[in-house]
Amino acid sequence: MKICIKSLSKDYFTEGKRIKALANVDLTIPANQIFTLLGPSGCGKTTLLRCIVGLETPESGEIAIGEEIVWSKEKNIFVPPEKRGLSMVFQAYAIWPHMNVFDNVAYPLQTRKEPREDITRKVEKTLRLVRLEGFGNRPATKLSGGQQQRVALARALVAEPKVILFDEPLSNLDAKLREETRKELRSFLTELKITAVYVTHDRIEALSLSDTIAVMKDGCIAEIGTPKKIYFDSDHRFVADFIGRANLIDGKVTAVEDSYTIIDSGIGTIACLKNPDALPGNAVTLCIRPEFINVMKGDTRDGRNIFRGRVESLVFVGEAYEGEISIADTRLITRIEPTAIVKEGDEIALSFDPDHCFVLSK
Amino acid sequence: MNRAMLNTRTALTPSLIVIVGFLTVCPVVMLVFGSFSEGLGAFGSFTLEKYIRSYTDPDFAGIIVNTVIFTIGSAFVATVLALFLAYLNTRTNIPLKFLFRIISIIPMMIPHILFSVSWVLLLNPSNGMINLFLREILSLQGSPFNIYTLQGMILVEGLLDLPIAYLIIAPAMAAFDVSLEESSKVCGASNLRTLTRVTLPVLRPAILASVILVIVRSLASFAVPSIVGMPGRIYVLSTHIYRIIATGFVADYGMAAAVGMTALATSITLIYLYRYLTSESEKYVTISSRGYRPTVIDLKNAKYPLFGIVGILSFVLIVLPVVVLFYTSLVPYSMVPSAKAFSMMSWKNWVEVLRDPISLLSLKNSIFLGIVGATLGVILSIFVSYVIVKVRTRAAGVLESLSFLSFSFPGIVVGVGFMWFFVQTPLYATIWSLLIGYIATYLPYGIRPLSSAFVQIHSHLEESSRVCGGGTLYTLRRIVIPLLIPGVVSGWILMATMFLRELTLSVVLSRPGTEVLAVQILRFAEDGLWGKLSALGIMMIFISTTLVVIASLIGIKLTRVENDRKRRQVSV
Repeated sequence: MKICIKSLSKDYFTEGKRIKALANVDLTIPANQIFTLLGPSGCGKTTLLRCIVGLETPESGEIAIGEEIVWSKEKNIFVPPEKRGLSMVFQAYAIWPHMNVFDNVAYPLQTRKEPREDITRKVEKTLRLVRLEGFGNRPATKLSGGQQQRVALARALVAEPKVILFDEPLSNLDAKLREETRKELRSFLTELKITAVYVTHDRIEALSLSDTIAVMKDGCIAEIGTPKKIYFDSDHRFVADFIGRANLIDGKVTAVEDSYTIIDSGIGTIACLKNPDALPGNAVTLCIRPEFINVMKGDTRDGRNIFRGRVESLVFVGEAYEGEISIADTRLITRIEPTAIVKEGDEIALSFDPDHCFVLSK
Repeated sequence: MNRAMLNTRTALTPSLIVIVGFLTVCPVVMLVFGSFSEGLGAFGSFTLEKYIRSYTDPDFAGIIVNTVIFTIGSAFVATVLALFLAYLNTRTNIPLKFLFRIISIIPMMIPHILFSVSWVLLLNPSNGMINLFLREILSLQGSPFNIYTLQGMILVEGLLDLPIAYLIIAPAMAAFDVSLEESSKVCGASNLRTLTRVTLPVLRPAILASVILVIVRSLASFAVPSIVGMPGRIYVLSTHIYRIIATGFVADYGMAAAVGMTALATSITLIYLYRYLTSESEKYVTISSRGYRPTVIDLKNAKYPLFGIVGILSFVLIVLPVVVLFYTSLVPYSMVPSAKAFSMMSWKNWVEVLRDPISLLSLKNSIFLGIVGATLGVILSIFVSYVIVKVRTRAAGVLESLSFLSFSFPGIVVGVGFMWFFVQTPLYATIWSLLIGYIATYLPYGIRPLSSAFVQIHSHLEESSRVCGGGTLYTLRRIVIPLLIPGVVSGWILMATMFLRELTLSVVLSRPGTEVLAVQILRFAEDGLWGKLSALGIMMIFISTTLVVIASLIGIKLTRVENDRKRRQVSV
């Protein structure tokens, strides 16, 4: 079921100051996709999610889930959360401590007054799906963090909702468990073909889990796109910087070729992936990620996108070195293979992959 | 550390165990022996007669039924009101939230006996002010309300125990993870279903703890059963014991002890249940979500009506008792406030009280007990808390359990136990017997604030002072004592106010010559001398408040000396 949000606004007050949590957000969340709201803390992503589910009342705008308008200032409609037929997985899971696993999962069905046999059957099926078979009689709080997380997921799935909302559901798990759970979640959700709205501040989670990512900043949607689009070819400086490690270089467009835009910058002339919006004479920022800056072996020839620089620092981070290279006055971060014979203070030649150099239009 | 210091330290714990053990265990042991003895004069001569007589008494079943209804009813009233207030305070946008703090603290300042009296003055069937007023305007024959009933007792006791219930429930409500409710709503549950299936069950440990603690308190309560219950011939365990020793032809302390065993056993069982429940509640600890601010429920149109209820409650709990007493102390007999009443006002009752030698004696005795008793009690508490918090050996653990034991002893039962003890000593019928009894019963009130003060003085603070070159005494003076002063002051205030108003223990131990304020007030109530009672009661509140103010001022002054020194040093 798709979700349509029209010019939604929400303010709140802290210590006498008015803070815009949402500023005229327009957003369409397509049906049967994993849609992620990504952004730094305080960007309004959780507020937006809570507005969709009905736990928060916006100041103005309209929210429609499928064909039904669930909130509208103008039309004076407010459908309370319990009538919206959604599911939500909370950040701390919100597992009811006084119930066992079975009762926690059965709760949404009990509120719908389904027959007892149906409830038992559906709960067992869902527990099997999340690999918690036989845990029904356990007190919910006696489970591990990962298991509690799966109880919360089972509770969200059991009533077969059309839309399921996630509020940073993995942030309470440790790193390794988080990775596993992320993969599981991805396979559950793609299997079930439901609309999932997922809030997170973790870019890796967003990139690996989503069909579509909306990056938020200061109560606005900055950019929407597939993970690859957001990572490799984002339009916004903020988005490019937030989604991964990025070298941002200011410059001016000098020429536009068939497949590349040529930019003059502080470190020299750089050929970038063509951007139709960047016209000769425009001041622009280009972005290149550390993994697309290559250290050249042996004798270096001068050529397109080849620059000479000095290794300022070199940090071993496990799978690679993270190097800081200065070219003229610009400092760039690069990823250097652990096998490369480079040390601090060396003069080296670098090449930029022009297909992964992209111009930020905003 | 030199040898002498080591020795004093090792000697401290056992000697404290002996003192505190004597104070708490002695009355219980004496109670047990007493219950098997013929009478005060024949201590130690074994007999089962007292038990047989007490428990075959045809009235006894009725008393137990009354006690059960009274305690459970009070617990219900106090807990429901506390839930209501705590919910409004922590979860809604009700205005003037500071009122809730006041409601939870101030009623502790008003002595229970005076609170009960003020309700009797308002609602007694013969000349209660509200009854007189309603009879006048509705021209009724009889009185619409009668406070001298079980319902009346439950109402007054429930209001008196509201602060205790609130102090247990409010923190639990504040710590409640709101997402538990939110997820219930998202799952499709209505508000009512969320309340009954999620909110109340999650709060269950706190609710049960509150219910049990109020039951223990009302089981020990003597003020309400004596002032409100006895005129209507409604007896509960505490007043039944009182009746056995204070009225009738012969005071039978053996039978009192035998009946007291029931109250004591019930109380101890309930306190153990309470402890079990509070430890069990850890099971309910969930991963709490960080970050999201709980949404405050907008009460909309219900805001001011609900606030009205809170306003009435605070008025009834705080203002009304004092106003009613003050008014009654000025008029010659019970009457509805009117022009006539105002014209007849005088200080006559006050003058009479101040001329009455027994009232003056009780004032003197209570002030002595308040000041000297609290001072001695705090000194003992300092040592006990020091051992509990800082020494932490197994013996210190024994001391801790001993010193909190008296929490679960109903005052009148402890009084009977002490009676059996003091009769064998020259302390009988002296003010010192009261002093010892008070300190024994109220020791936890001194230990609580002092042990939390000691907890704050982390050993690193002392150690760093020593490393900086401060000697033992210097460290004590500059670091330990200044940090301890707030605990000392609040311990002293708690003990002094408790001693000044003490009733339940005193009705047993006080003899001619050792009358105290609350007992004298009870005598006035039994004789229906409401005007004199009110005058003496207002004096009691005034003295109690004065002690609190003086103690707080001294506390502020002592801490300021330290701060001034700091300031001077900074400016130098």
